[in-house]
Amino acid sequence: MIAMLSRWKDQLLGRGDAAITVPVFDGALKSNRLIEDARVVAALEAPEDVTTDGRAVFVADGARVLRLNGDRLEEVHRCAGSITALACMPDGGFAIAIEGKEIRVEGGAHHGRQWSAIGAQGFNAVNAITVGRSGRLLVTDGSRERSYGQWKHDLMGLGHSGRVFELTPADGGGRMLAEGLHYAFGACEAGDELWVSESWRHHVIRLAGGGKAPLQAVTDALPGYPSRIAPASDGGAWLTCFALRTQLVEFVLREPAYRVRMMAEIAPEHWIAPALNSGNTFLEPMQGAQLKMMGIVKPWAPPHSYGLVVRLDERGLVRYSLHSRFDGKNHGIAAAAACGDTLYLVAKGNRRLLALDIASAQRELVG
Amino acid sequence: MTGPALEMRRATKRYAGVPAIDSIDFSLMPGEIHSIVGENGAGKSTLTKAMAGVVPLTSGEMRIDGKPVEPQTPNDALKMGVAMVFQETTLVPTMTVAQNLFLGQEKYFNRLRGIYIAAQQFLQSLQFDVDPTAQVSLLGAAKKQMVEIARAVLHKARVIIFDEPTASLTPEEKKYFFDLLYSLKARGVSVIFISHALEEALQVSDRITVLRDGKSIVTDLASNFDRARIVQAMVGRDLQQTVYGQRKKSIRAQGKRVLSVQNLRMAAMVKNNSLSVFAGQVTGVFGLVGSGRTETFKVVAGVIKRDFMHGGEVLLHGRPIRYFVPASAVRDGIAYVTEDRKVEGFFETKSIADNIYLGLLAKLRGRRPLFRRSEAAETGEHWIKRLNVRAIGKEVKAIELSGGNQQKVVIAKALVQDPELIIFDEPTRGVDVGAISEIHALINRLADEGKAVVVISSYLPEVMAISDRILVQRMGKVVEEFSAIEATEEKVMYAAIH
Repeated sequence: MIAMLSRWKDQLLGRGDAAITVPVFDGALKSNRLIEDARVVAALEAPEDVTTDGRAVFVADGARVLRLNGDRLEEVHRCAGSITALACMPDGGFAIAIEGKEIRVEGGAHHGRQWSAIGAQGFNAVNAITVGRSGRLLVTDGSRERSYGQWKHDLMGLGHSGRVFELTPADGGGRMLAEGLHYAFGACEAGDELWVSESWRHHVIRLAGGGKAPLQAVTDALPGYPSRIAPASDGGAWLTCFALRTQLVEFVLREPAYRVRMMAEIAPEHWIAPALNSGNTFLEPMQGAQLKMMGIVKPWAPPHSYGLVVRLDERGLVRYSLHSRFDGKNHGIAAAAACGDTLYLVAKGNRRLLALDIASAQRELVG
Repeated sequence: MTGPALEMRRATKRYAGVPAIDSIDFSLMPGEIHSIVGENGAGKSTLTKAMAGVVPLTSGEMRIDGKPVEPQTPNDALKMGVAMVFQETTLVPTMTVAQNLFLGQEKYFNRLRGIYIAAQQFLQSLQFDVDPTAQVSLLGAAKKQMVEIARAVLHKARVIIFDEPTASLTPEEKKYFFDLLYSLKARGVSVIFISHALEEALQVSDRITVLRDGKSIVTDLASNFDRARIVQAMVGRDLQQTVYGQRKKSIRAQGKRVLSVQNLRMAAMVKNNSLSVFAGQVTGVFGLVGSGRTETFKVVAGVIKRDFMHGGEVLLHGRPIRYFVPASAVRDGIAYVTEDRKVEGFFETKSIADNIYLGLLAKLRGRRPLFRRSEAAETGEHWIKRLNVRAIGKEVKAIELSGGNQQKVVIAKALVQDPELIIFDEPTRGVDVGAISEIHALINRLADEGKAVVVISSYLPEVMAISDRILVQRMGKVVEEFSAIEATEEKVMYAAIH
């Protein structure tokens, strides 16, 4: 009763959850153009994930696994369905998630190993695989209810059925580490901890003690929706954010009747929801808005898509960030992999593989 | 050649036997602008207060037009033609600007409208953009200072003493003020100008007197001085030529986000403002007067309230906060060091030790129901030493301290609460170069210890010298952020104005 009254009060006064505020891009998150200015390695058909074994870079593009050879991409494997996550195994081969529902090991010592469920828990939207130090696979499954391609539906439906699994290729076993997450999207070992992105809660959480301890935020109040996490060579991690939070979307997320009707009547690409790219059609929401300032009507539109990668240190603190701003094109950064001095990024928004020099970015941003 | 308009001969003032000024000889010629400079505690304020009748001399004499005088009260001094504009405003906050201007000059029958019209005309003649009908408590520090200056000019004083008159003025307001000084000089009015901004003293003065430790060190034509010579005479040691001269070569790494302000709104002053403050860094906030910097951080510290409806969010360590009184913020580890130390910073009739201990009691949230004298004395002594407060003893009343030492007391009162987030609002306003260095060193030390430090300053060189990151605020919101390495004065000022 008290909670209900408190909620009504907040809605009336625009406070608490109803304040509809978004953290600002400042400090280490101050925007720049480094992703927009990054070198375009290749234009792809449907890039999804990028990974490395420390020597070469591999990209999941539709149903294909491509290896970067110089500036050329060559196919090294083809799957039966679209790849939704890719990881290099330490003893050669790959761990591949197909259509988000099945994980297979292709090549290497555990070739042929496959999982589609752990006990009664069937996979539904596997979106990231990471290989741990002991050779275990850390798998995030975004939603039990929506498929991988329907991530927007999960957000607009306030989904919270994300799960984290640990798979052991040696014996084919596995177990669930956490569930009920607000879209788990990417995991990474950091020291003795396991970091997991929880996209709809805009934070990275720590699963300590094998997932038994209570969840704690490693880095919270991100201005974007975090996705895959890749370890950085000198400690910490690269965290990609595939879209940006805006007050408009936050507002819509607090309006259930509007959302239900929007989802029922409008095509998903035209929803007031985060997007991987924008500027494709005038039917996109609010692209023709205007704002009156100081008596002058100015064209304006809330950002629809963005490109963001965050460099976290060992403690999960943001050291610096790389951006492609609203006026850019390299949006929807879904995966990152550092190989040598180069950071490779998958920009799903305009289907590109990008590369940028880590040392020069670091020099520019933190001196 | 006429004699001095005002003269002090072997002027000495002792407090409890300790000389605040010691055998000072000083002369002020008619129509002269004479600057007095010196570190905090050098005796500038005591000397000028003696001239203005605020404190009597222990020995020595004062002469006006060659005649010995002994003003016992400021009113006596005013009748003799000596007016003082104090460092901290002495206006009545509940009265309007016009009422303050004519305070003490009331007639038997006062027509408010007549007073407003006269005040309006007078303020316009000075080119001061102040509404005569506005209540003084609602004015910012700069406008209060302008009213103080206008009041002194209105009283037709022949000698006007300005104690740090430009500390709270914008560059444009300063220009008006200097024009005003020149017009006073042209009318034969003598001006004593006390300022810690040495460039200003060099710019406007005919002569400069440097005081140190209560003694007059040197008096000479301004044209014979440069900054280095003044600083050398002031501190008597080899201080760096400018405390603001060094640019940062490296910045501290960003720690955890301690404070996140999101879409904050507060009346017309703060408009949809968003910013973050991180542990282990000094976040400088620059903006012109009226840009909403102080108001933003006063909301954070619970001094004023944000809009009742849709006022935005303030998160401390990710937890939403909304304070109704500053004490709640203090308990959560937020300390706000005010820009207006006399009104909001300390209890002027209480001792240094009591003031600092009261800061501690605010933190302890009623867990100290009794005021423990011994603990207060210990606490006071500790902080007097730690911050190098120059006072005869811990029992000295705060009002009797120089501006810089008062500021140190206000800072000690905040630091005794062991805050995690410390907001310094104009921390070196009205503070001498020696104390500025000490306060800056203290601020840097706090950041090095991992505290989140905010420094709000209107003085660009200060912001540039001390900050790891600089937020520029304009028209109620942060419009730009620079790291200390990329910032230049031109860039920051451009963002603040355009």
